[in-house]
Amino acid sequence: MTAGTGIGASEYLEALQQAGVTDFVTVPDFVQLALHQAIEGGDSPIRLVRTCNEDQAVCVAAGLRIGGRQPIVVIQNQGLYACINTVRAVALDARIPTVFLIGQFGRENANLGRPTTESGRRVVSLLEPLLDTLQVPHWGLDASSDLAAMRAAFETAAARRGAAALIVNQPIAWH
Amino acid sequence: MRIGQACQCIAQARGERVIVATMGAMFALDALGVSEARLSSVPLMGGAASLGLGLSLANPEVGVIVIDGDASLLMQLGGLVSVADNAPRRFLHFVVQNGTQFTGASNLGVPGGKDVDFGALARAAGYTRALRIDTVEALAEALPLLLQEDGPAFAALVVDAEPSQFGADRPQPELPDRQFQRMGLEAEQLASWYAAKTGAAAS
Repeated sequence: MTAGTGIGASEYLEALQQAGVTDFVTVPDFVQLALHQAIEGGDSPIRLVRTCNEDQAVCVAAGLRIGGRQPIVVIQNQGLYACINTVRAVALDARIPTVFLIGQFGRENANLGRPTTESGRRVVSLLEPLLDTLQVPHWGLDASSDLAAMRAAFETAAARRGAAALIVNQPIAWH
Repeated sequence: MRIGQACQCIAQARGERVIVATMGAMFALDALGVSEARLSSVPLMGGAASLGLGLSLANPEVGVIVIDGDASLLMQLGGLVSVADNAPRRFLHFVVQNGTQFTGASNLGVPGGKDVDFGALARAAGYTRALRIDTVEALAEALPLLLQEDGPAFAALVVDAEPSQFGADRPQPELPDRQFQRMGLEAEQLASWYAAKTGAAAS
């Protein structure tokens, strides 16, 4: 699959809104460029909150959540690797519900249709095992029907009082 | 200026603002009996400003006071830009500049010590006002102005490092469970506090 044939940005936006997302807290991701552009373009009432790194994104989302909002943290796989201690402190130890939308940056075409754990690129193959190690439930987003997991992720994070992750396995299409 | 004096001054002036603090200020506020509407960034160095930013963006009408540490802020200097870019209202950010880390436990140097001009960094990032304050009298005088600022405002509080407690004759003790649990407990209480103020259900 190549960029432009995955789930459309407009479908993501609709799913985010249906899940009650109020704030898009982000350090941008290459795989999700189309969604970022849609948010930057003001195509939805969801507020864009830019941060300089993923530690800050997790903390800002936590503050929003405590204050009664429904944020989502939108980052790429490298970003999650960069902020593990903050995830540990905020979402795991302090048990502040935190939902991530994580792009599989760097996934090679040869890996499409196969488990990401079989990717030849560690930046891709380590993501799901790491989430499993952290006991963070996760859902892969490969087809439009998978977007139903958006609501499930928020419900799970709230019920478990912890983190949940949605994994963008393919580039988001520009429609 | 001692950190206890600075925190007392801030606590007296806070009104209904939420306080987000890191280690040194957290312990000083504990000693002062300040318990309501607090959130501690612990154990998480560098998280205070971003936690406060999120709180402020969620409820702009409720002010937020962040009391950061110098070593903590140095870990997340880009957070100054994140704050300024999002332009939170009624957001007052202090950094306790004592030039040490593990202050009061076994004082170790911080890169830059007391020479770092945090106010200049905050101004360059886009904060609307930034001061350097050396005495508790100057802090008391500046607080009304800082609290009136629509924000984000910043002040570096230059304080004396508390004396070290631990060494060969008195090794450091085991850290208590509370230190690893309090952020979650405070977050839960703060969510209820916000919900009561805004009439929303805490989640």
